[in-house]
Amino acid sequence: MSARVGVYICHCGSNIAGKVNVKAVSEYAKQLPDVVISREYQYMCSEPGQEFIVRDIRENQLDRIVVASCSPLMHEKTFRATLQTAGLNPFLLQMANIREQCSWVTEDGEAATLKAKALVSGAVGKVRVLAPLKQSYVTVSKSILVIGGGIAGIQAALQCAETGYKVYLVEREQSIGGHMAMLDKTFPTLDCSACILTPKMVSVSQHPNITLMAYSDVEKIGGYAGNISVTVRRKAAYVDHDKCNGCGLCQEKCPSKTDNKFEQGKSKRKSIYTLFPQAIPNKPVIDKSNCIYFLKGKCGVCQKLCTREAIDFTQEDKIEEITVGAIIVATGYEIFNGHKMTNYGYGSLPDVYSALEFERMVNSGGFTNGQIRTQNGKIPSRVGIIHCVGSRDERHLPYCSQICCMFAVKFAHLIRDHTNATVYNFFIDMRCVGKAYEEFYHRVLEEGVRFIRGKAAEVIESQDNTSKNGQYIVKVEDTLAGSVRDISLDMIILANGMEARNDSRDMARKIGIAVNEYGFFLETHPKLDPIGTQDPCVFIAGTCAGPKDIPHTVVQASAAAAGAISLLEKNTIALEPIAAFVNEERCTGCQFCVNVCPYQATKFDTERKTSMVDETLCRGCGTCVSTCPSGAMEGNHFTDKQILSEIKSLLVPV
Amino acid sequence: MKKSKRRNTERAYEDSGFIRDIISSREGARVLSCIQCGTCSASCPVFEVMDYPPRKIFAMIREGMKDKVLLSVTPWICASCYRCTVNCPAQIKITEVMYELKRICLKEQVISERTDANRFYSIFLNQIIKYGRSHELGLMIKFMMLHHPVNLLQQVPRGVRMMLSGSLSLFPHRIKNAKTLQKITDHALKLQKV
Repeated sequence: MSARVGVYICHCGSNIAGKVNVKAVSEYAKQLPDVVISREYQYMCSEPGQEFIVRDIRENQLDRIVVASCSPLMHEKTFRATLQTAGLNPFLLQMANIREQCSWVTEDGEAATLKAKALVSGAVGKVRVLAPLKQSYVTVSKSILVIGGGIAGIQAALQCAETGYKVYLVEREQSIGGHMAMLDKTFPTLDCSACILTPKMVSVSQHPNITLMAYSDVEKIGGYAGNISVTVRRKAAYVDHDKCNGCGLCQEKCPSKTDNKFEQGKSKRKSIYTLFPQAIPNKPVIDKSNCIYFLKGKCGVCQKLCTREAIDFTQEDKIEEITVGAIIVATGYEIFNGHKMTNYGYGSLPDVYSALEFERMVNSGGFTNGQIRTQNGKIPSRVGIIHCVGSRDERHLPYCSQICCMFAVKFAHLIRDHTNATVYNFFIDMRCVGKAYEEFYHRVLEEGVRFIRGKAAEVIESQDNTSKNGQYIVKVEDTLAGSVRDISLDMIILANGMEARNDSRDMARKIGIAVNEYGFFLETHPKLDPIGTQDPCVFIAGTCAGPKDIPHTVVQASAAAAGAISLLEKNTIALEPIAAFVNEERCTGCQFCVNVCPYQATKFDTERKTSMVDETLCRGCGTCVSTCPSGAMEGNHFTDKQILSEIKSLLVPV
Repeated sequence: MKKSKRRNTERAYEDSGFIRDIISSREGARVLSCIQCGTCSASCPVFEVMDYPPRKIFAMIREGMKDKVLLSVTPWICASCYRCTVNCPAQIKITEVMYELKRICLKEQVISERTDANRFYSIFLNQIIKYGRSHELGLMIKFMMLHHPVNLLQQVPRGVRMMLSGSLSLFPHRIKNAKTLQKITDHALKLQKV
């Protein structure tokens, strides 16, 4: 019995019909083999559009459907559901993309129409030989992995845990808190960052549903949809945290010192240390690369002094395996390295500070105990803040880092508040987009902070050593006043941009998601699905997905938590039925497919001496199919017969 | 809906051949990306004697103010130190655009009264074509005689001092193999038609 195909051409308003002659394409489709009905309609995805399909299937006994419209990424799901409503197997659908691949890519209407006809013909050719597929379901593990313990990870973990799910929060440092723990005040309300963050950190440590895995790395991610197996490396702390009570005696007495990374290298810390006083968990770890015991084999002061006998130099990394149903990735960002902008003298001029260095300086727990002082202990009388360091720069970060204008305004306020200094902001454009942000900018304008519209060209040391003038000179064009000015300053703060963590690409590969050109994790849709990724069980939150401020990070983290929760609420998850399969009589057992599979879905059956595919793991990428030298591997829905039939029809002269 | 960038810019500036000329040149391709940050002006060592800072030149190019741009002395003042080009966050080849503007000035014979750099350029170039290297004394005498004869007298004492110290030679030197250079300059002139 031959197939009965229905073809539906979508106008997509004028998106398609503006170029492609849809009537001609519809007429053309009518004479294609097995086509029973061909229609064109304004919006196929609309309710009336879908009803056409349902009615035609029922009245005309159609058993195959071709929709020529936008990309299947947009509406394949929609039309599969339509087929299901009409009682047809949803996989008997083929879409022809006549928008992105026709009307949008040419000015020539005739050429677009010609190509649309060919694509429709190809789709009909394929749909005629498609086979129905069966959707299978697996049960979902009721736990969630959150990677990253910054504010995004904390928010997401708390929200998931509150709903009753088991949460594993993995943090690479020995304490959660992330960048937010380093900040002093937060714009625009100026609440103390630690004061609003630490209660949340404490909640994480106290929550019965959260297992906090600090000082740990995600090593490997495997398994299949809804049952993801995660290998976590618990790094050796050389301190038994079960025994340690956090008394701090070891830190006090440790004789070895090294740069304190939390204080941006501006002060020293001991080799056995906690990150900061409010750290969670507040238990020290030993930094093996600086500890005298590990370097020279003697010392052990901490071990001798510890009353709880918690120091254990023989500890080793531990590997833990967990199974989760969903992953929330919240790995955060890095600040742009100011050394790359050599014209600002960062690293060589002592009173040029990065944004995080200034946060630590102005923080009462920081390296100057909250005093704004130059290197030689003077209160600065003239301070400059240079915006867009790295950001909006084709050589470094072409994008706007979004938060710098606001934290620069906050810095200006804090400097005015702590000292009597004149503050200059060198900006290109002020971008104060957010609730109460513009008002905050105005408040700081009224505080007498100078805003000079022009990007600082360079910072040089002043030759004039009289105390009246500052030690540095910033050269800038005041584009509004219309002159190039040399502004003398005592202290300069760079508003460093935000960039993706340098290991974000490795992390993405580990998890099986994509990154954009800058290394930020890629969302399924920038507007309509900013938390989803190409893996339905993985969600992204916070600055690992792109620069954003704390409010937006928290919003996205809550959204990601909601995404994970609604996935797990369903109990079961549909597996992709488009998977590879082996024609055993053809398989020679060469195992090429086993080596190339990115999901470890192909295995070698030693008894039968052939490869086999684990359908739960297979995601239908087709790598094994194209690798197999004997043609034994084939993909459901993309069998050789189906692809060849599509190509043959595609090449029929129009 | 994505269309090619080039098409869009061409459409946006259909009315102005000037901007089209600039952005379609290799050097000026990124002029429309200027964010008016002023890094170029603040990087410029000779900014003070320009009538418009480079940043403003780009704003004027984009607004199609052809006469104002061509009559500006800024391109002629440019010392070709390339500091602006190195610092430009939009990666505009600023120095090269200045050259392009000078080429357009010469082609259209629109040159500010306030500059004689163009005349200096042509005397210099003729010397190079003739000898293969510059002859400072001849260059200065010719330039001053033609354009600033009164000032020439003021320069005599300095010239004598320089000659005595051996920094100025009385007669021009020719390079070896001047014919090969001739081939190159001939070809270049044919390409430029300046």
